[in-house]
Amino acid sequence: MIEQIPVLLVVLPIVGGAVPLVASLVSDRAGWPIATLTLIGQVGLAGLLAWTVGTSGTVSYAVGGFAAPYGIELVVDGLSGAVALLVAVVSLGVLAYAREAGPHSNSFYGLYLLLVAGLTGMTVTGDVFNLYVFLEITGLAAYGLVASGRDASAAVAALKYLIIGTVGASLYLLGVGYLLAATGTLNMADLATKLGEMAAYDSTLVLTAFGLMVGGLTVKVALFPLHTWQPDAYANAPDSVSAFISALVSTVSAYALARLLFSVFTAEFLTAVPVARWALVGLACVSIVAGSALAVSQNSVQRMLAYSSVSQFGLVIAGFAIATPMAVVGATVHLLGHAVMKGGLFAATGIIERETGATTISGYAGMGSRVPLTAFSFSVLSLAMVGVPPAVGFVGKWYIVLGAVNAEIWPVVAVLLASTLLTLAYFARLVERLYFAEATIHAEEGVPEDAPVTDGSGQAVSFGMVAVVVLAAVLAVALTAAVPALEQVLEDTLLPILNQ
Amino acid sequence: MTEFRPILAILVSAVAIPVILSLKGRPNLREGVTLTVAFAKFAIIASMVPGVLNGTEYEFVVGQFATGIELAFSVDPLGLLFGLLASLLWIVTSFYSIGYMRGLDEHAQTRYFASFAASLASAIGVAFASNLLTLFVCYELLTVSTYPLVTHDETDEARAAGRKYLAYTFGGGVAVLGGTVLVFVLAGTTAFTPGGLEGLATADPTLARAAFALLAAGFGVKAALMPMHSWLPDAMVAPTPVSGLLHAVAVVKSGVFGIARVVLDVFGTETMAELGVGLPLAAIAAFTLLTASIIALRQDNLKRRLAYSTISQLSYIVLGLGLLHGQALTGGLLHIPAHAFMKLTLFFCAGAIHVETHTDDISDMAGIGTRMPLTMAAFAVAAAGMAGIPLVAGFVSKWYLVIGALSLDGGLIFAAALLVSGVLNIAYFWPIVYQAYFESPEDHDQKPLLEAPLGGRGDVRADGGSDDDAHDHADESAVPDPQHVDHLGMHREDHEHHGGPPEGGWDDRGWRGGESTWFMLGPILTAATLSLLLGTMPYTAVFLRIVDTIVGNLPGVGV
Repeated sequence: MIEQIPVLLVVLPIVGGAVPLVASLVSDRAGWPIATLTLIGQVGLAGLLAWTVGTSGTVSYAVGGFAAPYGIELVVDGLSGAVALLVAVVSLGVLAYAREAGPHSNSFYGLYLLLVAGLTGMTVTGDVFNLYVFLEITGLAAYGLVASGRDASAAVAALKYLIIGTVGASLYLLGVGYLLAATGTLNMADLATKLGEMAAYDSTLVLTAFGLMVGGLTVKVALFPLHTWQPDAYANAPDSVSAFISALVSTVSAYALARLLFSVFTAEFLTAVPVARWALVGLACVSIVAGSALAVSQNSVQRMLAYSSVSQFGLVIAGFAIATPMAVVGATVHLLGHAVMKGGLFAATGIIERETGATTISGYAGMGSRVPLTAFSFSVLSLAMVGVPPAVGFVGKWYIVLGAVNAEIWPVVAVLLASTLLTLAYFARLVERLYFAEATIHAEEGVPEDAPVTDGSGQAVSFGMVAVVVLAAVLAVALTAAVPALEQVLEDTLLPILNQ
Repeated sequence: MTEFRPILAILVSAVAIPVILSLKGRPNLREGVTLTVAFAKFAIIASMVPGVLNGTEYEFVVGQFATGIELAFSVDPLGLLFGLLASLLWIVTSFYSIGYMRGLDEHAQTRYFASFAASLASAIGVAFASNLLTLFVCYELLTVSTYPLVTHDETDEARAAGRKYLAYTFGGGVAVLGGTVLVFVLAGTTAFTPGGLEGLATADPTLARAAFALLAAGFGVKAALMPMHSWLPDAMVAPTPVSGLLHAVAVVKSGVFGIARVVLDVFGTETMAELGVGLPLAAIAAFTLLTASIIALRQDNLKRRLAYSTISQLSYIVLGLGLLHGQALTGGLLHIPAHAFMKLTLFFCAGAIHVETHTDDISDMAGIGTRMPLTMAAFAVAAAGMAGIPLVAGFVSKWYLVIGALSLDGGLIFAAALLVSGVLNIAYFWPIVYQAYFESPEDHDQKPLLEAPLGGRGDVRADGGSDDDAHDHADESAVPDPQHVDHLGMHREDHEHHGGPPEGGWDDRGWRGGESTWFMLGPILTAATLSLLLGTMPYTAVFLRIVDTIVGNLPGVGV
């Protein structure tokens, strides 16, 4: 039973995603309960899988009984187990938010579950072509979800996302083709052994493949300067979708990038071809600085949060590219922590907009007293993102910096440390306005009755929505306690693949 | 031995935060909670004093924080010194806060008291942290929890000060983080060890120096070492009890305390001497204490003058630490409580004057001794202590500092700096006391003594040019100059009576407490009495015994 879980994790949401479409014949509100049931099952399975991986090591499954390297293999180790669990938990959490926030149509929940399937597939697969398939499933579902807002701007954002995202995926596919030409295999583990033997690490073929695949994934991760789809997509999608994709889509892409680095190209490749590592580290550092600078200059809170992701993923990728066990643990912690924090922040912006109509930085002035619980959670999440200890945002940074100091890459250490202040620059002014400024929007003129409704849903705020935000804030601090356990699991996974 | 008291001392005020917030509509109960918690905190910490003096170390491990680093709290003599001081003065300040906040009918009092409780929880966390990372965690939390107090007024000035405060202290925090990582990488641990970590003594000297520089600079921000001091005078827009307890005791002392931990328990005096980093630290401190004293002469706003005095006095402590000599260390560490008692008195006096007469500028205070005799008497005592006059706490610590400095080769210059600073202290405090009792509003000398920059007359112009840009100056003066902003954010406007004596001069309120409420007078007199106690019976007042224990535990320090 245990070895079938990886494939069940993918099949369950696909099947679950088809049900709402069929159920449309009976009821047009069947989507939410079906999605909830499916995802509760998903969380159970992912939890069981993560526990199994944590206690007894890697789980692998050959799809259809075709053994690797010819068939498709699903492999779950500590890293992918943690990400799969994150995907399941966050998507269930966002459902609690979406119940009131909408959209309510059955097709929305169909797409939602399809996105969960795509993300989980990317996480558990052990095959580079299969990864491409799930990358496209994820992309298509995400384009559809972004477009589910009723505004014209949502459609434009989705189109932009679609074009740029497809270019990224195509680059990745091209890279896969080069790898296949070089080694004749698509299985990750097989590639890892054959890459060094059949094609030299520094051969043009392998380098091109690396460039294309990593380049394609960095589009999906949205590192500067390949981030341009992201702020529009996050800011124009319905709130539930913003919270969902900001928490997971880039996160799983970053995971895929790490998987590519360590399980396909391996740490030896990074050592043999230093230019590859430095290019990635450099890109990450530029992303940290540029993302923060762009975030500071935004007026819309959601766009600011989107640019903040550009910066934070720079931190994550820097950790992966440094590639010492410490740094990779840190990057993983930050990857998981960022998902919780950013999802919670987007969810909070949705609530604040519904309650008060505030969407801009200046509009947030004085809102601390109007929406006390949400504003407080927002502040906690902001500080956690800045890296105020003991929140999880700090722990990730601590490990990454430790890894960078161990590797003695001083300029990177400086950028990593400065990232705290850069993040503070855009979050502090928001928190300051929330609590210490004169309100610019007053209760009576709050939300005009005929305000354009972006996502075709009511303006009410449910208990579930606030609970999700508060839970995210609590998790942002409480996850720190789980870090030692996670580190243990990750080290079992990482030490072999990092050859340390 | 495992013991719950360290964590209990921290949590007792942390737990009170939601309680205080929930009692928003019932102010008496809310302040009751604050007072109860303050007493409980002090009692818990005081109960550990005998044990610690006998060499017991109380330890509580919360859990693993990261590889090889525990989130752990332990009470050693140095931590006890800071913890005992902060919790004792929190009681005094809580009473004073009630008088002050109600006297001014302030807004957002619930947030104020809740933030105060949070600040104290963090401050005690700083005191009892048993390794550098735990200290850093609490240090950052202290920044966050004091931020709402700095911006309390919600005016533009307050927000600007808050921004500056966050930028400076988080900037310092980043440096501390960098230093902590370096120490961890070099030594494999960050646990405080009297005499220093072994790994650092054998580490690459360049990296070790870099680690020290980062840590000293990071903690130096809160310790207001120049040139990282300028957040402190601006933070004076906060209500006076905040300026008193946090910006003269808890927050700034957490910076000094951090430096003390780094010097004594991370690097150790011997490694410091080998690395040669003690002297630069002492030199920066000596520079700061002289320069800040001179700047203080020019300040007309009483709280800003006190702020510069704080900057100067904090550097006494850092100087003592930087000299790496037994008696200088004793003096420096003893100056932590000594300065706290005296400066708290001074701030409380400034706050009482503000509440009662809305006077903030020294030039408006001539003759105020008839209106507020007890307050000004307490002010005189504390000011004398600041200058190092015997019988007040400042004398004892300064005595040890000067002796320590003189017994070192080349220490003469540091001793001279200390003595000159003492003279400057008199120069900026004595006129206040003198004019309060012996001058009248109609007939008094020009204050402050130094109006223009040294060597100039009137406004200084950066390029030395003439008055082509006079219009600009006029425009600028329309913007409230922070010097003339009291904590309500109002600036002195000539058409509106705000500060200074009322028409017809100061009332005579006599010496029996008619000048203010006892909620303010009580704390003022208590703090002044404490500084006298520490000055006359330093051993009985326990603090010197704690300091002796700290210094006695250090290997290789000649006393």
